[in-house]
Amino acid sequence: MTMRVRGAALVLTAGFFVAAAAETAATRAADIELGRYLSSECVTCHGAAKAHDTIPNIYGISETTFAEVVKAYRDKSLANPVMQNIAGRLSDDDIAALAAYFATAERQQ
Amino acid sequence: MTDMTRRNFSRLAGASLATLSTSLFAPAVLGQGKPRLVVIGGGPGGATVARYVAKESAGAVDVTLIEPLKQFTTCFFSNLYVGGFRDYNSITHGYDKMQKSGVKMVHAMAAGIDRGKREVTLADGSKVGYDRLVVAPGIDIKFDSVPGYSEAAAEVMPHAWKPGAQTQLLVKKLNALEDGDLIVMVAPPNPYRCPPGPYERVSMFAHVLKTKGHTKSKIIVLDPKPTFSKQGVFMEGWEKHYPGVIEWQDPKVHGGIKGVNPATGEVITDFATYKARLVNVIPAQMAGKIARDAGLTNQSGFCPIDAVSMKSTVDPNIFVTGDASIAGDMPKSAFAANSQAKVAAMTIRAELTKSRAFPARYANTCWSLIAPDDDIKVGAAYEPGDGKIKQTSGFVSQRGESADLRKQNYKESVDWYNGIVADVFG
Repeated sequence: MTMRVRGAALVLTAGFFVAAAAETAATRAADIELGRYLSSECVTCHGAAKAHDTIPNIYGISETTFAEVVKAYRDKSLANPVMQNIAGRLSDDDIAALAAYFATAERQQ
Repeated sequence: MTDMTRRNFSRLAGASLATLSTSLFAPAVLGQGKPRLVVIGGGPGGATVARYVAKESAGAVDVTLIEPLKQFTTCFFSNLYVGGFRDYNSITHGYDKMQKSGVKMVHAMAAGIDRGKREVTLADGSKVGYDRLVVAPGIDIKFDSVPGYSEAAAEVMPHAWKPGAQTQLLVKKLNALEDGDLIVMVAPPNPYRCPPGPYERVSMFAHVLKTKGHTKSKIIVLDPKPTFSKQGVFMEGWEKHYPGVIEWQDPKVHGGIKGVNPATGEVITDFATYKARLVNVIPAQMAGKIARDAGLTNQSGFCPIDAVSMKSTVDPNIFVTGDASIAGDMPKSAFAANSQAKVAAMTIRAELTKSRAFPARYANTCWSLIAPDDDIKVGAAYEPGDGKIKQTSGFVSQRGESADLRKQNYKESVDWYNGIVADVFG
């Protein structure tokens, strides 16, 4: 019960009541904190990338595109083994979290 | 409220906060005084932890990085400098962006660690206290692992396995060779920094000889190991680009490496003595001195760690990242060190700011250049398992791959280098 009150208070205090109320199982928000943590693995190669590089920039790309491409590496329909290796262990929730993070995140460097 | 609902509330809060804050992990309430993180070693294993804790705690942790050098030359890509594909400046990086990242730089040598008092003593005798300490000193060379070799001998027979003057000496000697001169490499035993590194270096030696039109020179590799990383594709590449130039000898062929004589330029094996104009001795290795002196190593000479956090199994306030650690199935590489550093940084940030922690995940990829536009790679993913960092998947370049793919690998490696140095140094 204590946890319940604290969790609700956090959301209300932050002013996200509307977002919380709107959430359903079908529209569950991506876990941005998780996305940010997982993104540190991506940044090793993509952190300084330009759009035209062999390793492309992934900051600011749409969530849909991000998820489609990463899932294509995961199921090996895209070829690069480095990305197949990285994507291979990402769950759908992981990919959604990463996609949500990179869609809005600014480059860290 | 169910557990699931509670988690979702937290997720929503986190998701929405992301648009308002540069960090998701700043603690809501800070205690008295900032918690202190001290990092020893400004390479990929150390500098990455420092930057990530500073960044991800949004200044809630006081982060100090102790590194004697003002400029750090990377071991990774130093073979491309040997081969003439990079200049020295392009693999040398300053720490000028660390301050902006929220990291306090102390350019001094860390002389000792008092684990009881949680203090690092610097070379000038001053003390730096810590709540958490990261020890990332990289490797030291075991000079006495090759009879006749020593720190002084390295001025004649460079190891060039630590970045800086040794690498420059190696290149100077390589460029002074005349056609017909012999090069001998004494390769290292496992475990050592950068498993494919010696063989990429040999490729770069051969490339330089080829570029200079040296047709009578040879390179002999005396290896204490029966096999080596990416062996099949390396050997295919040597035969393709440098036929007859590189002779790799395993222990069955040379019978044992008996020693070197720096005064005469000789390398002695059980079956032969080679007199070479360039001898590159890469001895056995161990964790950097400060880790050994602090009692963080075991009988292997490296530091045991907890695979879920990179925390030393000897001291719960200390983490060891990079080449000094015993990282299970992971190789000793810059990529691996950078990956381990992020797990350590996440754990340290969570412990010191009472914020959210995540499961450890690790990854590595190593690219190796055999010849212009002919680059091969090996990589893997890892997670904690069976009491170590365990490989969960992996890949390696194959024989007979297209020239286009190998060229793409090279471009990819250059992009990776740009990415990782920005990630490490800011």
